[in-house]
Amino acid sequence: MPTTRRQQQASASDPAPEAAHQPPHIVTTISKLSKECVLRLSSEKIYFIVNDDSSGPAPPVLWCEIPQMMFFSEYQLIGVDDEHKDIYLGFSSVNLSRPLVTLKSAKSLKMKLTKKQCPCLTLEIESASSTSQQTRQVTHDIPAIVIPRKCWSDFYEPQVPKPDISIELPSLKQLRTTIDRMRTMSSDVVIRASAEGRLTLQIKTDTAKVSTRFKGLTVEAFEGPIEHSDSESETQINEDQSRLCVCRVDAKKLSMFLNADQISHNRVTCNVVHKRLVTLCLRTDENVHLQCYITGIVY
Amino acid sequence: MKCYVPGPNVKVLGRTIHALARFGDELYLESLVDCVRLRTLNTAESAYAMVKFNKNFFSYFNYNYNSNNDNDGPKCKISMKSALNTFKSPAHMDKQVENLEIKLELDQCKLIFQFKCKHGIIKTHYVSILDSKVTQAVYTKDLVPNRITSSQRILSEAISNFQSSDDQVTLEALSHSILLRNYIDDNIDLSKIIRTQINIKSEEFDSYTVDEETAVTFTMKEFKALLTFAEALGLPIQIQFETTGKPIVFIIHNGTTLEAHFVLATTKPDVTTQASTTQKSSRVERNKRKDSSNLTESASKKPHLEEDISKCLDEDSHLFNFVDIPNEEIPTNNCDNSVNVENNNLVDIKDCDNIPASPTSKTMIKSLFKKCFESTFDPRSTQDVVLAGNSDSE
Repeated sequence: MPTTRRQQQASASDPAPEAAHQPPHIVTTISKLSKECVLRLSSEKIYFIVNDDSSGPAPPVLWCEIPQMMFFSEYQLIGVDDEHKDIYLGFSSVNLSRPLVTLKSAKSLKMKLTKKQCPCLTLEIESASSTSQQTRQVTHDIPAIVIPRKCWSDFYEPQVPKPDISIELPSLKQLRTTIDRMRTMSSDVVIRASAEGRLTLQIKTDTAKVSTRFKGLTVEAFEGPIEHSDSESETQINEDQSRLCVCRVDAKKLSMFLNADQISHNRVTCNVVHKRLVTLCLRTDENVHLQCYITGIVY
Repeated sequence: MKCYVPGPNVKVLGRTIHALARFGDELYLESLVDCVRLRTLNTAESAYAMVKFNKNFFSYFNYNYNSNNDNDGPKCKISMKSALNTFKSPAHMDKQVENLEIKLELDQCKLIFQFKCKHGIIKTHYVSILDSKVTQAVYTKDLVPNRITSSQRILSEAISNFQSSDDQVTLEALSHSILLRNYIDDNIDLSKIIRTQINIKSEEFDSYTVDEETAVTFTMKEFKALLTFAEALGLPIQIQFETTGKPIVFIIHNGTTLEAHFVLATTKPDVTTQASTTQKSSRVERNKRKDSSNLTESASKKPHLEEDISKCLDEDSHLFNFVDIPNEEIPTNNCDNSVNVENNNLVDIKDCDNIPASPTSKTMIKSLFKKCFESTFDPRSTQDVVLAGNSDSE
């Protein structure tokens, strides 16, 4: 068992009640995306990583960076040695999200890596009593798997190609209702982003073609012109083809990411690598950076 | 028995029925001179609930209005399902129902609920009586060393920390605090479930007496049911318990009109197997019901069951003997044969037939190793020949 030898220790306590609402929402979002997730603790940031089951060269499904300074008043981390300062833990994401839901009424949270018959992430939650001045202590031991060093490379930050376009997304709630309606008709959806700030979501079935257009969105970067080698990406006649990025993605995956609207955010952008990859990036005021990678479907 | 329940109390009665329904499938009703008792027992006989409504809970109460024998109050057993159907949606009952009349017609085998609702609507439920007996549990309270009075809110909040998959909870009573833990069975994979512990200081409770530190484990489902009941009525809960293996009693009462006792069997928190857990709880049950006058049939079933098991065991041991005997006899039999063949080379093959008949139990062996029992069998032929090597060479 690696934990005993490593003497790894991480403890942190959470003082800020406002900020405390964020991690539960993030973990809840993750638990909807995947059954398993990996928590990487480093001295500056904590990461939540979700890999696809068939994780090969493909980037992870989700990559989330949380600066520890924003959430923890105390943060101690001792790794194996100087070269391996981080700790990688594997969890059932539901096991982590359920206890965190009770944090709303909590006064403080202490997270510890412990060994209680099996490696556990211990959450010590101090919550105020509703009836008296007393506080009560709630301890959750969440079973975790300490990921050995030789597997760490599976969870390194993905190297993704530079996006052809980076466009701001409209309200996630609105997008989600749109996608959820489309999802009932078709399993995949075509995302089109133009350098003029137009975003089009389109599905095609045998009987219908449905598209929803959003206008006037901020384009943060455009690396055009784009070469369209085939006629698949039909569009309005008077639109410049070379200023348009297209990617076909799985509607279910897109919808799952859009659950992230629970996390209060200030900016969500959509990066499209033409016909290959869609990256959805969410940033919050606390500098939490959540990225979701959806690989394109090519016919 | 005939009584009227005023509108606001109908809701209380409805809540009671719903709480009892979480315990058992049958509802026992007993009418005494000054009160009505509702009782239920779960099928595993590990949980028992009794709610007593005093005379002043009713606007009119006649415990024995159509019966001739005065010494014994009327009683009956009905199915919990029909009782539940009568009290659908107790939350809204007080707004609709102005008055409820309950009549026990033993002659017609019916328990009649007549709801007089607003706008002159009258709903009448005729519930069939299954039996005219009641059950009774014997348990000690008041004299036990550990007594805690808690507002239901503290306990509900604590319980909300557990996962919905947790089915048993361990309460560890220490002199200054109590610990609530989800009970982990030894068979459960520790890497799959969350272990949760809640530490509540004694100061949070209305009263706290723990003379004997102990840990008791009981079922979550019934505990939640009684918490919901206490929550609905906004009443505190008195917890009385002794030690592991002895029942824990939860008492909810408002002092004047109603008193509810919920009794749960407890198990030791550190028992090794599930089997011993169930044994323990059933023993508790039997202790509890030792002195009870009206035992249900299932009580007599239990020893019977044990007899059956012991019979099975006996049979099993026979089975083992049965296997043993031929095993012992194979070598002797072989020896006989070899003696015959080696020492008396002249012995006719016919002589082999004079060997006394083998016991019938050998027939199995014979059919399996036929060749060994054939008269032409020569054991020397197999002596050095290895037909199959040892499976484990090391």
